[in-house]
Amino acid sequence: MNLLEIKNLKAKIGDKEILHGIDLTINRGEVHAIMGPNGSGKSTLSYVLSGRDGYEVTDGEILLDGESVLDMEADERARAGMFLAFQYPVELPGVGGMSFLRAAVNARLREKGEDEVDQLAFVKMVRAKAKALGVDDEMLKRAVNVGFSGGEKKRYEILQMALLEPTMAVLDETDSGLDVDALRIVSEGVNALRGEARGMLVITHYQRLLSHIVPDYVHILAGGRIIKSGDKDLALEVENNGYAGLIDAA
Amino acid sequence: MAMRGLSMQPNLLRENAALCLQAKQEFAANGLPAAKNEAWIYTRLQALTLNPANAGEEAQADEAGVLSFSAGWLQTGGDNLPASVTLTEMGDDAILGEFAAHLPEDHFLGSLSLGHATGAYLIEIAANAAIETPLQLVFEGGEEGQSSHPLIFIKCGAGASCQLAEIHSGTTSLSAPVMVIDAGAGAKIDHVKLQAEDSQASHLALTVFAVAQTADINSFTAAIGAKLGRHETHAHLNGEHIEMALSSLYLGRAEQHQDITTRMLHHMPNCTSNQVIRGVLDDSAKGVFQGKVLVARDAQKTDGQQMSRALLLSRKAEADAKPELEIYADDVVCSHGATVGELDETHLFYMMSRGISEDDAKNMLIQAFLIDALEQVRHEALADILSHAVHDWMAEGL
Ligand SMILES: Nc1ncnc2c1ncn2[C@@H]1O[C@H](COP(=O)(O)OP(=O)(O)OP(=O)(O)O)[C@@H](O)[C@H]1O
Ligand SMILES: [Mg+2]
Repeated sequence: MNLLEIKNLKAKIGDKEILHGIDLTINRGEVHAIMGPNGSGKSTLSYVLSGRDGYEVTDGEILLDGESVLDMEADERARAGMFLAFQYPVELPGVGGMSFLRAAVNARLREKGEDEVDQLAFVKMVRAKAKALGVDDEMLKRAVNVGFSGGEKKRYEILQMALLEPTMAVLDETDSGLDVDALRIVSEGVNALRGEARGMLVITHYQRLLSHIVPDYVHILAGGRIIKSGDKDLALEVENNGYAGLIDAA
Repeated sequence: MAMRGLSMQPNLLRENAALCLQAKQEFAANGLPAAKNEAWIYTRLQALTLNPANAGEEAQADEAGVLSFSAGWLQTGGDNLPASVTLTEMGDDAILGEFAAHLPEDHFLGSLSLGHATGAYLIEIAANAAIETPLQLVFEGGEEGQSSHPLIFIKCGAGASCQLAEIHSGTTSLSAPVMVIDAGAGAKIDHVKLQAEDSQASHLALTVFAVAQTADINSFTAAIGAKLGRHETHAHLNGEHIEMALSSLYLGRAEQHQDITTRMLHHMPNCTSNQVIRGVLDDSAKGVFQGKVLVARDAQKTDGQQMSRALLLSRKAEADAKPELEIYADDVVCSHGATVGELDETHLFYMMSRGISEDDAKNMLIQAFLIDALEQVRHEALADILSHAVHDWMAEGL
């Protein structure tokens, strides 16, 4: 069965239709990349997939493991295995990082019918995964994302992904704001999570990320539609020639 | 043990003391605060059930440092108090006069409870005493329909340090405590008040701090219970180099009405005051914060801060804020602010996108919102009392 199946998806924000009919199928083990001009609807797609209020699906279907998620709230989708690494991670003043991470992990474990992790074991696990991503202990003690630099926020997103082990991960411009070394570290973190257990949808503007996280498929989203799909070479083509030619041809 | 003059069949002050009789007349003449009374614009009082209780039976002394009151009367003697703490009944006009002199003139809450006084007690902490166990004043309601009007006068001697917890619960009708806390020079007081009365109760409290030079006061009120709560606090900073924190949180749901009113009165130079107020209102609850910071002409180098924030969880909830600065000195740093907001949709979505349920996410965000206020409580054991109460309140909402 396909992991994620998006069929003729149309969605609007307020009265404005942003997604005009998207078809995309992702199987377990696959990494798909989406590229596209600013404002083409990439983040909108990521929000629609994760169930954000205010993003109304007017037509089409989203199936996760064969089941429609359209009637599920954001938290239910997450517990069903959906994950979004935000383009702009959200600061939560006053919400301690550790209790936030633990609440998230425990919610997922409860859903799977597994025991919640105890605090000590959890702290240990977080520290280990954080270290691999270059997230230092001091950051873990702070409120979620508060006072983090742009790059630190992105690492923290990937840390959450590593802890939650989603089946379908959407990464929205995880490379933006990362320096070269951080890009390599974060990419290694993402690559470590690649595998038969999950699929990934990587949204980016730059070929640079895709040389680290090499995608199986590349799609071009423009004006709320996927106008072209191909393999990793399509990303190179975009890098060299821009979108104009592709949009004209579509 | 340290106790004198605590009789179990006391003369009823309200029927004997000249001050009480006078207050009662005043109260009868003035009635409830009029519609145009500025101090009561946001909090309208309906008819009050005035049925002050008589002294009850004596009970067993509680654990160390706990004073239990029922319907405004102390139930236990003072034998569980530390040696440097003296408990006396305020029986004569002299001490009562000293107490009343601290109260604002012609004040509705003052005359209400002076005129209907139940028990009246003086608690003295000897100069330079360092009290290690918090003194807990635990007030419970009496019988259905009885009203409580305890008068409590706490004198903390110069250089003494103590922790006070006032816990009010179980009143079904009216509880109207009047408290004066007189802090001597260099005294260090940690004070928390938890108002967790029954859901039909009215709690109308007046607390006055009279603070001498270099004293360090950390006071916090958590208004959680009652149908109608008014927590009015006046702080007179009567000496130089005083540190005064006077913060609060209020929580309301259903039809609750919580009113926090403060007057921070800087009479002398070089003092610092800080007020952090946080309110969370659900359903049709209403919250009021009125805070005045007054800086007298001589009170140069005053640092007076005040910030109130209310969080509305429902469309029908309402928060009113009236922060006021009245400054007559020219070399001061004062600021105030008041905001009213809702939970941020982006915050909620971010948390839910991690699998955290909406209820859990809301609770975490409410806790995060309240943390700035709760963090003002510097004494750990006192802080725990309040955070448990807040935690229980949130658990009830699920
Ligand atoms: N809340 C909103 N209300 C109205 N229009 C919106 C809203 N959010 C996004 N849009 C519009 O939807 C379109 C798609 O935006 P989206 O953020 O999905 O683009 P994107 O492809 O992620 O762009 P970028 O590469 O800049 O991140 C844009 O025209 C944007 O202005
Ligand atoms: Mg975007």
